[in-house]
Amino acid sequence: MKRVKRLRSLTAKYMAIILTALFFINLLVIGTSLLVFNVYDHKDPETLQIEKAWHEDARSLKNPGSEDINRMFEEWQNRYPKARLFWVDSKGRLAAGRNLAADIPKHWNAAYTANFIKARYDNDPFTVIAFPKNDASYGFVVFEIERKLLQPAFTEVNTDFMYFIVPAGIVLFVTVSYLFFLGIRKRLLYLQHAMEIRDVDGLPVSITVRKQDEIGQLEMAFNQMVDELRESRKREEAEEQLRKELIANLSHDLRTPLTKIRAHAYTLGKEALTPVARQAVNTIEQSVSKMDRLIENLISYTLLNAKKLKYEPAPTDVVRLARSFIAAWYPVFEKEGFSIDVQLDDLEKKHWNVDPLWMERIFDNLFQNVIRHAKDGKYIGLKTKKTDSYDALVVLDRGKGFRHKSSEKGAGVGLAIVDLMVKKMGLDWKIESSETGTIIKIIHYR
Amino acid sequence: MARVLYIEDEQEIGRWVTMNLTERGHHVTWLRSGEEVEEHLAHCDLVILDVMLPGLDGFSIGKRIKKEHPDLPILMLSARTAIEDKVEGLSFADDYLTKPFHPDELAARVEVLLRRFNKNDEILKLKHLTIHTKDMRIVNHETGEEILLTGKQYQIFQYFLRHLNQILTKEQLYEGVWGEPYIEGDKTLMVHIRYLREKLEKDPKNPEIIETIRGIGYRVRK
Repeated sequence: MKRVKRLRSLTAKYMAIILTALFFINLLVIGTSLLVFNVYDHKDPETLQIEKAWHEDARSLKNPGSEDINRMFEEWQNRYPKARLFWVDSKGRLAAGRNLAADIPKHWNAAYTANFIKARYDNDPFTVIAFPKNDASYGFVVFEIERKLLQPAFTEVNTDFMYFIVPAGIVLFVTVSYLFFLGIRKRLLYLQHAMEIRDVDGLPVSITVRKQDEIGQLEMAFNQMVDELRESRKREEAEEQLRKELIANLSHDLRTPLTKIRAHAYTLGKEALTPVARQAVNTIEQSVSKMDRLIENLISYTLLNAKKLKYEPAPTDVVRLARSFIAAWYPVFEKEGFSIDVQLDDLEKKHWNVDPLWMERIFDNLFQNVIRHAKDGKYIGLKTKKTDSYDALVVLDRGKGFRHKSSEKGAGVGLAIVDLMVKKMGLDWKIESSETGTIIKIIHYR
Repeated sequence: MARVLYIEDEQEIGRWVTMNLTERGHHVTWLRSGEEVEEHLAHCDLVILDVMLPGLDGFSIGKRIKKEHPDLPILMLSARTAIEDKVEGLSFADDYLTKPFHPDELAARVEVLLRRFNKNDEILKLKHLTIHTKDMRIVNHETGEEILLTGKQYQIFQYFLRHLNQILTKEQLYEGVWGEPYIEGDKTLMVHIRYLREKLEKDPKNPEIIETIRGIGYRVRK
């Protein structure tokens, strides 16, 4: 069998989905950490820009007095309204300021200044300290702003985006996985359905293989099985044909000499014979008939048991059928001096699903039995019977019953055939036999 | 009486059947195989065919004959008794008799077939009636009167004569004459039989020509 190409296999597809998902998760993790890291990056272009501009503005002050510095503060406040701006002059006094908090002292000594610088260095709030005119004798100007305020738009948007992209990634992964399995499920269901379809010969039908993956392989295996089944069915049919042919030939070969015996006995019977010889000729004649029936019954029984006897059930009006059977047998019973009692009325359900030829065989065997075993009764009845639970065709005779040994034995095979056929057709049958006669019912349950 | 073409490869059986049918007044041509069948078909009234023959088998020969001569009755006489064989045989043949058969039965079936196919130019005597089967002329020979039947009555009576001695169920009769399925309880046939009896029977209340077989149907017996 062909191996599935790796890339086309379901495993490969599923692995691709998993790997893609893992790749995106990694990407998200890396992206997130980069973004988070960037927020506190002091190399951030805006802080650098502020730092540069603050130093520039401080240095370019022409006359660093209260007036100029206040003007500079005003300009900056316009740009950064929430920034804290203040000027500590050369004497350590807080000379000017904007947005001042209570923790900014009025007087700055050297120790406090050093502490302040140490505390603010590379920290939040972002702080720039510059000397006006680049000269420490004018004191220093301070610009402070919370970093959060400095880049508010950028960071906030990115964290929202994070909250959106992670669940979206999960949903996408779940959806893709779901569709993948849905696809597999659909194909499996299709396969199951295709496997259940039966051809006219009762065999499954081959499936069109559409993909070369594991399911495709399963389909190919199934097709191979169907082919093998078909092959074996063909072999079986050939064997069956051979067996039937053999039995038919056997039957033919047995009957040909029987025909010759009968021919010679018949020719002999036309000569002038002594009573003893005449009796012998009659016995030969009867034996030929008996042999003929035995061969027929044995062959039928063999075929029936091997389930090889042709069986074609169809809804059949059995009342009409029974009437035609007794019509065919009427002359035989008439010749034997029987009184013939036919009462075939309508049944509750007169169409039975049976093979008419099998029904004929059943009634032939039953009538034959009456002729052979119940001749003394001189009576044959064929009736219909309706009860609450079943319909039945009834054959009656007034012979001495089954327990009484009739002059001609061998009813066994004939009735065994009746039994097999009745059961195969889903019917039932009952024999009530007594010293005064036998009643056989062929029963169809409703 | 009739010209019978008989095809049988078994010597003893062939000789016996030929002798028997000849004794009964038929003219029998007996062939050992199906090879020369064609030459004899134009001059015969009935064909009796065995199935197992050297060369072409009886089924093939029979089908060919029936195709070219649909009016020629064929009786299969075979030791093959399987249902399949009978079904195949009866798909073209008009009767199927299995070996070992009794010569009386063969003779009776031959007669039934000849009558069914109107091959006999027979003058039938049924009680007080004389019937010329070829032109279906019915004469009461006690009074010398000819009996005229209507179309349906004629068809029914002819159906009886073609199935002489057989018991016909009412379904069989109705479907044979009217050519459509019999519906349970239909009185048409009974009414026609009553009119037919009024014309044919001496005493229609005690019919002798068309017997009623209780619970089964009717019969016209020779």
